[in-house]
Amino acid sequence: MKFHWFHLMPYPYLPEDFKERYPSVWVDPPANELYDPVKGHDLYHDYLDQLEFAEQCGYDGICVNEHHQNGYGLMPSPNLMAATLARRTSKAKIIVLGNSVALYDPPTRVAEEMAMLDVLSGGRLIAGFPVGTAMDTAYSYGANPTTLRDKYREGVELIVRAWKERRPFSFNGKYTQLRYVNPWPTPIQTPRPPVWIPGGGSIETWEWCVKNDFLYAYLTYFGYQSGLPVINGFWETVERLGAEMNPYRAGFLQFVGVADSDAEAERLYAEPAQYFYNRCFHVSPGYGNAPGYSSIATVRKGVLSAVGKAASELKGQALTWKEIVDKGCIVAGSPQTVIDRLNDMADQMRVGHVLLLCHFGNMSHETTLYNTERFARDVMPKLRHRFSDYEDKWWPKDTLPNIRQPSMPGGRRPSMAAE
Amino acid sequence: MKVETIMLAGDRSVRVYRIGKGAPLVWLHGPHGIRASDPVIAALAKNREVIAPLAPGFADADELDDIRDVRDLALHYDDLFEALDLDAIDLVGHSFGAMIAAEVAAHVPKRVRSLTLISPLGMWRDDDPAPDMFARPAAAMDQILWKDGAASAAMMNPADEPADPVEKAVATAQALTAVAKFLWPLPDRGLRRRLHRITAKTLVIRGADDALVPASSMEDLVAGISGAMRMTVPGAAHMVPYEALPDVAARIERHLTEIVLAA
Repeated sequence: MKFHWFHLMPYPYLPEDFKERYPSVWVDPPANELYDPVKGHDLYHDYLDQLEFAEQCGYDGICVNEHHQNGYGLMPSPNLMAATLARRTSKAKIIVLGNSVALYDPPTRVAEEMAMLDVLSGGRLIAGFPVGTAMDTAYSYGANPTTLRDKYREGVELIVRAWKERRPFSFNGKYTQLRYVNPWPTPIQTPRPPVWIPGGGSIETWEWCVKNDFLYAYLTYFGYQSGLPVINGFWETVERLGAEMNPYRAGFLQFVGVADSDAEAERLYAEPAQYFYNRCFHVSPGYGNAPGYSSIATVRKGVLSAVGKAASELKGQALTWKEIVDKGCIVAGSPQTVIDRLNDMADQMRVGHVLLLCHFGNMSHETTLYNTERFARDVMPKLRHRFSDYEDKWWPKDTLPNIRQPSMPGGRRPSMAAE
Repeated sequence: MKVETIMLAGDRSVRVYRIGKGAPLVWLHGPHGIRASDPVIAALAKNREVIAPLAPGFADADELDDIRDVRDLALHYDDLFEALDLDAIDLVGHSFGAMIAAEVAAHVPKRVRSLTLISPLGMWRDDDPAPDMFARPAAAMDQILWKDGAASAAMMNPADEPADPVEKAVATAQALTAVAKFLWPLPDRGLRRRLHRITAKTLVIRGADDALVPASSMEDLVAGISGAMRMTVPGAAHMVPYEALPDVAARIERHLTEIVLAA
C-alpha cells in the first residue's frame, strides 16, 4: 500500500456564523469580504511546510489539487504549488490531482506545464486530470456543462498524444484546433507520466480509465464506508472489461487523525473536523450539479455527483464528532484503532493508493505536523505490506537517481551583497 | 394531437405535433417540452393548424451532438421548415422557444412572416442581470418560473408526463440539458447583433413579474427589431401564456389578424 499526503489548503478563518450568513462556501462567498491575503501569506507557507514535512516523514507522494472560488480550497493553480514543491523536495512523488483540462485553451498548456514539473522534479510527477466539479467548471469558470466531459476527454487525449508523438502533428478536434502540436519541454517519464483520474461515481469515467490504463481515484469526504459502492462499481467495470484486478489501479481519499488514545483524538481533531464538515462543507444545493454535467445514463442510475449528493445529505444538520467518526468520514483514534479501520478499508475496497488528509478544517500547524508524524511512525509501517504481491504500474518509473537540490553555484554569493 | 417524425439530412429526426385546422402556425415550446394536454397549444389551435416541433435534445440527448451552437440550431429549424414545406411562417415561441424563433427569423428572414416572442430568453445586460435559472435543484425550478412559485393545476402533473420518479427526473434533466447547451453560462449567444436582420412583424409579450426576462431585455428587443410591438401582462411571470392564457391568446390572434389584413 502507498500513502500520499494530500492538502486541500482550506481557509481557516471563516466566521462562526458563516452558514447562516452566506449561502455557499463555493462559487459565490465574497472573496474581498472573507479572505485576508495577509493571513493568507502565513497560511500558504504553513501549508507548503506541511507538504515538505510529509516528505521527511516518508510519505510516498505529496498531493495538490485544483479548486476555484472555494473557501476550503485555496489552490486555483495546483501547478504553482507543485513547482515550489519540486524545488524543495527530492524523494516524494508530486501528485497533481490535477488540472481540470476542459478549462484550458488550448489543453497543450497543461501538457507544457506538467512536463515542466516533471523535468524540474526529476521525473517525479503524477499527472492528474479531473473533469472538475460543477462548482469549479460550470459555475466558477462558465464552462458549458453539456459539453464539458466531451471537451475534457478530447483534451486529455490530446495531452497524452502530445507527450507520446515523436513528430509535430496537426489536431482538428471538436473543441481544439491546432496546426502545430509540439509542446516543449517533454517529460522525463516515457512515454508519459502516470495519469490519475480523480472522479465521482460516473460509469463512463470507470470504463475510460480502464481502457486507457489510467488510475481511478475516488475522492469523497465521507470516508470508505460510504465510498464502497462507488469503488465496487469501479472493480465490477475492471472485471467486466477483463483487466487485471490490481489494487494499484485505484486510489481513495481518507481523512485521518492519530493520537495516543481515542479520547485524545477527539480532543485534538473534533474541532477541525467540525469546522470542515459544518462550516467549510456548506455548498448551495443549486451548485451541486449543472444540467448536462452528469450523463443521462448516470442520472438514470441515480448516481449523482459525489459532492452534490453529499451537499444535499448534509443540508441543515450539524454533525457531531461521534457522527463524523461513526459514519467513517474521519478515521481517528489511537494508532491501533486507525490501523484496524484502514485494514478493514483495504479488505473491503482493495485500493492500493491512499490519499490522506492529515490536515482538515482549521487544524493548527502544530497539530497537523503531529498528526502527520504519528501516522507515518505508528500506522504506516503496519499497513505497508498490504498488496505487496502486486506490481504498481501507475507509479513513476523513470525518476532520476540524483535529484538536483536548490543551491547557489559553487557556494558563491552575489558580490553586491557585500557592498 | 397527431405526432409524426420528420427525417432530415445527416440522420436527424424531429418529432412534430399537429393539432387543429386552418392556416398553419408554428409553436416553439418552452422549458417543459410538448404535452398533449398543453392548454396554450389547444387555445392557439382554435382556428389554426398548430405545428409544434420538439426541440433537439428533448427526445434524445444525442440529437445535440452535431448541433453545436445557435447557428447550427437556427439552420436545423430552417431544414425542418423546408422539409415541412413551410414558408412565410407565423412563428410563436415561448421562453427558450422564443429565443429560437428570433434566431430563425434573424438567420432566415424570408422564412418568417410574423414573430411572437413570449418571455423571450436570449438577451442579457450586465447592469440588469437575471437570476441563474440553472443554479437551483430541478425540483425548485417552478419557484422561479411561476408568479406564485408553483405550477398551475393544468401543468402540475399532466397525465402525459412520466409517473415514474426516475423517468420524470431523467426527462427534466434532459430538457434542462438541451436548454443549457445554448444558454450557458448566460442567455446571450449574440442575438442582439442579429436583431437588425429580422423583417417579420414582431410582437413581444412579457409577464410583468418575469424574473428571467428583465424589463430592460424586453425593451432592448423591441428597440432592436424594426416595428416591434409589446405587451406586458400584469400579475404574470415567465409562464405568462399559461398564467394569463385568455389575454395572451387574444393578443396573439389580434396580431396575426392584423398581419393577414396588412397582407
